[in-house]
Amino acid sequence: MSTRQAQGTILFTALLALIGIGVVVQLWLLAASVDALFRHEAGTPLHAAIGSAVVFAINGLLALYVFNFDRKIKQR
Amino acid sequence: MAEEKKDEKKDGCVECQKKKNAQWREDFPVDWESDNYVTRREMVKFLALGSLTIAGANAVVAGLPHMVKASEMPRTRVALASSIPVGGSKLFAYPTEEDPCILVRQNTGDLVAYSQVCTHLSCAVIHDEKENALFCPCHHGYFTVAEGRPYAGPPTRPLPRIKLEQQGNEIFAIGVEI
Repeated sequence: MSTRQAQGTILFTALLALIGIGVVVQLWLLAASVDALFRHEAGTPLHAAIGSAVVFAINGLLALYVFNFDRKIKQR
Repeated sequence: MAEEKKDEKKDGCVECQKKKNAQWREDFPVDWESDNYVTRREMVKFLALGSLTIAGANAVVAGLPHMVKASEMPRTRVALASSIPVGGSKLFAYPTEEDPCILVRQNTGDLVAYSQVCTHLSCAVIHDEKENALFCPCHHGYFTVAEGRPYAGPPTRPLPRIKLEQQGNEIFAIGVEI
């Protein structure tokens, strides 16, 4: 395995962990949002939705970066 | 000593070889490296799609109160205003016949209405005139008459409030605040 590939593997795993943490945060936001809905707090679900969208954007960018990196490795 | 250690290492290696050449490995050969590689890629895809789904679900939850508000609620005649004295109450059903509600005239003279279904375990709340509260007899939950917020007992969520409109002496229910 070349150094570049080894780096790629570590990067892949690290980004996978980051995306996983992001998904857990989103799940927490969703739970808080549903709880707030039942408590009739209109503001909280909106803020949670914005937060969730931001986390999704970060997750999406990380995933795209991972796949681009992966493609480059394969092309070499 | 050094030779003994070498022998131990050799034995260890023999054990390793036995494990490596286990029958099940021959029966079910797995290319671990490529398998892990594929699994990780699939995992990233799965998490990214999961992230999108959760973000969508969050957006739906955020939009739910607005969608409920936007939907048409019936306008139902509830009672005559003069028929409810200060501290008095009247039961009615809104928006359907299967949704029990309670109309209460507060000490200030204002009329308020709430769903009669307790937010704890769905027992019917009743008006406690002495406590000036809505009381759930099942688990001794208390809600304020003014806002329908729980202040004692197991309930943690407020009672859904029924929007009222008064036309002359008649009181109409026009919506539910969730």
